[in-house]
Amino acid sequence: MSIELGHFALVLAFALALVQMAVPIIGAQIKNDTLMRVGEPAALTNFMLVALSFMALTSAYIQSDFSVLNVWENSHSAKPLLYKITGTWGNHEGSMLLWVLILVFFGALVAVFGRNLPLSLRANVLGVQGAISCAFIIFILATSNPFARLDPAPMEGRDLNPILQDIGLAVHPPLLYLGYVGFSVAFSFAIAALIEGRLDAAWARWVRPWTLAAWMFLTGGIAMGSYWAYYELGWGGFWFWDPVENASLLPWLGGTALLHSALVMEKRSALKIWTVLLAILTFSLSLLGTFLVRSGVLTSVHAFATDPARGVFILGILVLFIGGSLALFAWRAATLAPGGLFQPISREGALVLNNLVLTTATATVLIGTLYPLLVEAVTGDKISVGAPFFNLTFGPLILPLLVIVPFGPLLAWKRGDLWAVSQRLFGAFGAALAIALLAFVLVDRASVLAALGIGLGVWLVLGAMTDLVVKSGVGKAAPSVVFSRFKGLPRSVFGTALAHAGIGLTTIGIISVTTLETERIAAMQPGETVQIQGYNLRFDSLRPFTGPNYTEDQATFVLSRVTGKPLGEVVSSKRLYTARQMPTTEAGIRTLGLSQLYVSLGDQTPNGKIVVRIWWKPMVTLIWLGALVMMVGGTVSLLDRRLRVGAPMPRRKPAVEGRVA
Amino acid sequence: MEAGCCWDKIFSKNLRVGERGGGQFAKWPQLRRVGSTFPGGYLGPMLFWILAAFLTFIAAFAVLRPFAVRQAPAEDAGAHDIEVYRDQLEEVERDAKRGLIGQQEAEQARAEIGRRILQVSEAADIRDSTRSNRRVTQLTAAAAVLAIPLVSWGLYVFTGEPGMPAQPLHARTAAEPADASIDELVARAETHLATNPDDARGWQVLAPVYMRLGRFADAQTALQNIMRLSGETAELKAALGEAMVGAARGMVTADAEGVFEQALALDPNEPKARFFLGLARAQEGATEDARTIWRGMLENLPDASPWREAAQQAMAQSGGEGASARGPAAGEVAAASDLSETDRQAMIEGMVKGLDEKLRENPSDLEGWRRLIRSYVVLQRPEAAKEALARAVAAFGDKASESAELKGFAANLGVTIE
Repeated sequence: MSIELGHFALVLAFALALVQMAVPIIGAQIKNDTLMRVGEPAALTNFMLVALSFMALTSAYIQSDFSVLNVWENSHSAKPLLYKITGTWGNHEGSMLLWVLILVFFGALVAVFGRNLPLSLRANVLGVQGAISCAFIIFILATSNPFARLDPAPMEGRDLNPILQDIGLAVHPPLLYLGYVGFSVAFSFAIAALIEGRLDAAWARWVRPWTLAAWMFLTGGIAMGSYWAYYELGWGGFWFWDPVENASLLPWLGGTALLHSALVMEKRSALKIWTVLLAILTFSLSLLGTFLVRSGVLTSVHAFATDPARGVFILGILVLFIGGSLALFAWRAATLAPGGLFQPISREGALVLNNLVLTTATATVLIGTLYPLLVEAVTGDKISVGAPFFNLTFGPLILPLLVIVPFGPLLAWKRGDLWAVSQRLFGAFGAALAIALLAFVLVDRASVLAALGIGLGVWLVLGAMTDLVVKSGVGKAAPSVVFSRFKGLPRSVFGTALAHAGIGLTTIGIISVTTLETERIAAMQPGETVQIQGYNLRFDSLRPFTGPNYTEDQATFVLSRVTGKPLGEVVSSKRLYTARQMPTTEAGIRTLGLSQLYVSLGDQTPNGKIVVRIWWKPMVTLIWLGALVMMVGGTVSLLDRRLRVGAPMPRRKPAVEGRVA
Repeated sequence: MEAGCCWDKIFSKNLRVGERGGGQFAKWPQLRRVGSTFPGGYLGPMLFWILAAFLTFIAAFAVLRPFAVRQAPAEDAGAHDIEVYRDQLEEVERDAKRGLIGQQEAEQARAEIGRRILQVSEAADIRDSTRSNRRVTQLTAAAAVLAIPLVSWGLYVFTGEPGMPAQPLHARTAAEPADASIDELVARAETHLATNPDDARGWQVLAPVYMRLGRFADAQTALQNIMRLSGETAELKAALGEAMVGAARGMVTADAEGVFEQALALDPNEPKARFFLGLARAQEGATEDARTIWRGMLENLPDASPWREAAQQAMAQSGGEGASARGPAAGEVAAASDLSETDRQAMIEGMVKGLDEKLRENPSDLEGWRRLIRSYVVLQRPEAAKEALARAVAAFGDKASESAELKGFAANLGVTIE
């Protein structure tokens, strides 16, 4: 019964989403307060209903209820509990339900935290959120219902794809969806502004925290996905320029641009129309990502099912929302008043430059991702646009942008003094140059690129710190004053510095692992030793092992420094998941400082040895640590008091009236 | 689960699944679905509708609430803007006090924000403050409240299965064995054997059930376990061979032949092994050898043995009648038996070639591919068999289930491709 109740709750959520879409927007049109207020309880109840529905599906997974088709297809009674739970969204139907759950979750958050929004704006925002919910719930019910039943119920399920039986599945999709779907709020705000024809500084102030939260989650989701691919796929690649990865990078780039342009709009009332357009485009890119991944247009780990009907349905949703919002934009954008003026050399100018580069980079990635699909659709030829294309186009665009990042926060609003800013950055520049030289001389004399890249990363980190140093007045005031000023800096300043430093750390990680990585391939038998980068790796033993739903050959290696100092064991294995007869490799990874040693098992050679591939990945962890630092920056910025604007007090209280006046 | 609790139940169910006639390997019993009803009383469905009605009520109430609760009229949007600008002014003051921005800059910012506040106030004065349109409001509200039960119950009737209870695995395996289906009983037995793999009685009960359910790979495991625990007998060996034949979809593979020969080494009169060795000859095209074996069976098997009948049928079939509609026509086979050995070989090759060409034109015939691969194996042309498999896989697509099935089928015949 619980399953059918979950199913019913989802259908009911659809009905309620219809109401949430229509009633508040009608109310805003005819200026009726009561109708406008319907959006709020509708959004909250909708979240409750979809959560109920999701819990019903999860409990079916936990209890191995194979009378649910979706559970039978993707679960197995012998699976560990964690993977039973995460298996709920490890498939097409369940992941779409998670998508909708997060969508209505954001709707409920707007209802709760949006109490200080003007009533009509809130009504329109919730109405647009309701429209998106409607589209996706009916998509689930019509083409991918996770509550379809199976009678009689089989006694055993077909198990979850072994690659997905990993802690990564517990973290990566929810984070990524929080990011993707979080941009729907910015989108709803943009559409609401276009419907109302009102757009001011306050709007940007309300949009910014939502965008920031979504951006943070997306950053985490992408980083987690990258780390998962790194350790699971068995050869230690962290980014493949795979279309599915690009699908998540696109809204990230768009969202990053949106964050920055919303800043200009909030402070200076400028770039209004552009910001609205970016909000629309960013969520459109999220929808495009969902379409690419879920329609089966692309074949990858992420394409769970390829059903043309689903593809057409999502394409319909895509056309409806992107086309509709852009048409509305074209119609209404002219009614939005332009804002403040500024000089080219100014904080605004720097942010515009950032936006130009980021949107161009987005377009580049978009073209590289869609071009093969277009060619295949038109001519039938299969071509692949791979890393070389992106390295040659995306790289030259984004590297100069990184070089100028430290200047931005130091420039003044309206008109800035570039020379003064450069003087302040001399220290950071000198240090970065010194480290680049040092890297060139000490680490690898062959690669100028590596040295420059590492220098660039250091420049970003130190540049971000310079901003904090300058703003707390180091060198101009007494140490005690400096300390109190440092403590009193707005949290958004720390947020900016952390996020920019995070980019720097990630850059260092990417550059050093792509240019300085070393690899050994050896056919080994127990007792043999391989030397790599100052470490000895001795193959100790190869033992069979049986897990709950797999069997594996576990190879144990003993790691020590060349000098003989022991560093413990590294275990790498080859697994066979019995239910699907599917082999996977489980890499042995040992973190040493910021670097990692990556051991992966290959095939057995005819003479009884086993092929072992060993990589030394210098400073590889910085790639994800950098993302983590960016997320921390986002969180700190979210906590800034500026974002907690109070609501106006009701008019009828004279005391308050007096204070406002 | 206590040991051996349900073996007898499985055994009796097993007999009910359907009797299998003689050794007619071509008709493996179809898995019949047993026990597909919803257990539980009337309370389940009733309770569901009550809860569904309750949820509908909550949703409708959420929509109605703003109409029921009197709230202060909303502030004009302009008031919100002024609140934001006021906050911005305070921020400018703070920044100026801390020295984050210079005095002149702060002055400019204050002036700019001040101008924006003025703009908002002016706009508020001229803004039309007419509200409401009673009729539209009432109609919208009524439609919204009605839409919730109508849309939800209307849709659910099409998509849902309201009477179907949840069936958690744990509850199903703990249920009374008498009410359980054969699948459930097998699953319980498997759970038991997973923890007690040395329970020979359990494997003995399961082995024939697996055979009847067509789970030949599991049957082989079960039989091997019985032999591991209670020793090899001719009968068990023959049963193992039969399971291997079943897994190869009726083809007596070289491995299976080896097992049957082991069975005969233990007991030269084991009827199942003799029957299948005869079949092996027949599949190789050595019909006379096959008939000799089967004739021998008819001569010295006791009258009551079910294998007499099987041997008789096999004799009759090999004697002329076509094996199936898709096989060679009866006339061709009859003609073949009259020909000399080399001519017959040539005729068989001709038929195989014909099939090969047919499949080039119509590559979606799964059964045809099976026959072609099997024929090439019988004709001892492994390269041709491999090539046929590769073509079939190319035709179905590498990822298609047909390809996987054919690969499995071919692997049992010793044919594999990269």
